[in-house]
Amino acid sequence: MIKKRLFSVAYMFGLTFFFTALVSGIYEVNEERIAINEQIKLQKVVLEVLGIVPEPGTTDMQVREIFEKRIKVEEREGRILYRGFAGDGKTLVGYAFPLYGPGFWGPIYGMMGVEPQLEKVIGVAFYRHSETPGLGGRITEGWFRNQFAGKRLHARGKEGRYFSFVPAGTARADSELDAITGATGTSRGVERLVNENMKDYLPWIAREKAEGKI
Amino acid sequence: MATMKSRTIFLTGLWKENPVFRQILGICSALAVTNLMVNTLIMSLSLIFVTSMANVTVSILRNVTPPRIRMMVQTLVIAAYVIIVDIFLKAYLPDISDALGPYVGLIITNCIIMGRCEAFARSNPVWPSFVDGVASGCGYAFVLLSVAFFREVLGFGTFFGMRVMPMGWTNWTIMVMAPGAFFMLGAFIWIIRSLGPKEEQKPGVAM
Repeated sequence: MIKKRLFSVAYMFGLTFFFTALVSGIYEVNEERIAINEQIKLQKVVLEVLGIVPEPGTTDMQVREIFEKRIKVEEREGRILYRGFAGDGKTLVGYAFPLYGPGFWGPIYGMMGVEPQLEKVIGVAFYRHSETPGLGGRITEGWFRNQFAGKRLHARGKEGRYFSFVPAGTARADSELDAITGATGTSRGVERLVNENMKDYLPWIAREKAEGKI
Repeated sequence: MATMKSRTIFLTGLWKENPVFRQILGICSALAVTNLMVNTLIMSLSLIFVTSMANVTVSILRNVTPPRIRMMVQTLVIAAYVIIVDIFLKAYLPDISDALGPYVGLIITNCIIMGRCEAFARSNPVWPSFVDGVASGCGYAFVLLSVAFFREVLGFGTFFGMRVMPMGWTNWTIMVMAPGAFFMLGAFIWIIRSLGPKEEQKPGVAM
C-alpha cells in the first residue's frame, strides 16, 4: 500500500519535473522573440496615442524605424515620457506617458498622448489587461478610447479630477465619459488610474517644460 | 478492445460523435472566438494540436500511470501543451495571440480534450489515440469554422478579412456579439441533428 502511494508521488513528481523543464526550455528559446514583440507592441501604442498612425501594411521593422526616428524617450525620477516629433524630427507633436493601475481582475496598462501645449488629449490606449472579455475587456475598443480624444486637460473639483465615468449614454459635461455597462469594477479602476496617472504626470511635464528640460 | 481502423476513428470523431454538436462540449470557446474566421482557424489548429499530443502522451503513459492519479496527469499534460501553444503564438503570431487573448489559456479547460483522454487515450494504443485526437479536433474545427463563416460574413461583411459583401451592406452587429453566437450555434446543432440518423428511442420514453 505504502509502496503504491510512494510510487504515485514519485511518478507525479517526475512527470511534473519533465513537463516543467520542457515548457521552460521552449520558453527560453523563444524568450527574446517574445520580448521583441512586446517592445514593438508598446512602440505601436505610443505612436498611436500621439496620432502617428503607420499605414496599413507597415512591417514591424518599419514601425521600429518610425519609432526611432520620431520618438525620444525620457526616463527620469521614476517616470517615463515619450516625446513625439513630426516627420522633420524637430517639431514637437505631443507627449505620451504610461497609464497603469489596478483594474477589476488585474493591472491595466495603458498610454495617453497629449498635445504639446498640454491643453488636449490626442489619444488613449489600453494595451494589456486581464479584464473580463466582452465586458471590462471592451476598454480596448475604439468607441471607448475615442471618448478621450480631443478632451480638455482640466482638473476639476476639490480632488482635482480630470475625468469621471458615468453610466453609459448619460455623459453630458466635458469631463464625463461613458462607463462600460456591466463592467462597473473595470470602469471604476480605469477612472482611478487615469486620474492618478494624469495628476502624477501632467504637472511634472509642465514643470519640465517651464524649465526647458523637455 | 479490437483495434479500430483509423478511418473509422477519424469519421467517428468528425461526424458521428462530433464533440460540439453531438456531445455538446467545448461550447465556451465555440461562442467566444468565432466572430472572425482567422481567429477561429488558429484556435482550431491549436486545439487539434493539443488534443492529439495530449492523447498520444496519455496513451504512452497509460500502462505506467497509477489509476488514482490519472486525472492529475491528464491535466498536467494538457496544460503543458497549451502553454507551448501559447508561447508559440506569442512568439510567432503576436497579433493573433492578442486577439485570442485568454481563450488560448482556456483550452486547458476545454472538456473535449480531457474527455478524449479519459474516454479513449487511456485505454488505446498510441496511433489510434493520435487519430482520435486529430478527429475530435477536426470535428471541433468543422463546427467552429461553419459558425464563424456566418458570423464574419454577416457581422463584418468580410471573409478572412477580405471584403465580400457589397458596399451597401449593413453589418448585422448582433452576429459579432455573444447572442449572435448562441443563435448560430443553436441553429447549426438543430440543422445538423435533423440531417443525421435519428437517435434510438429508449423503451418506455414518450416522444
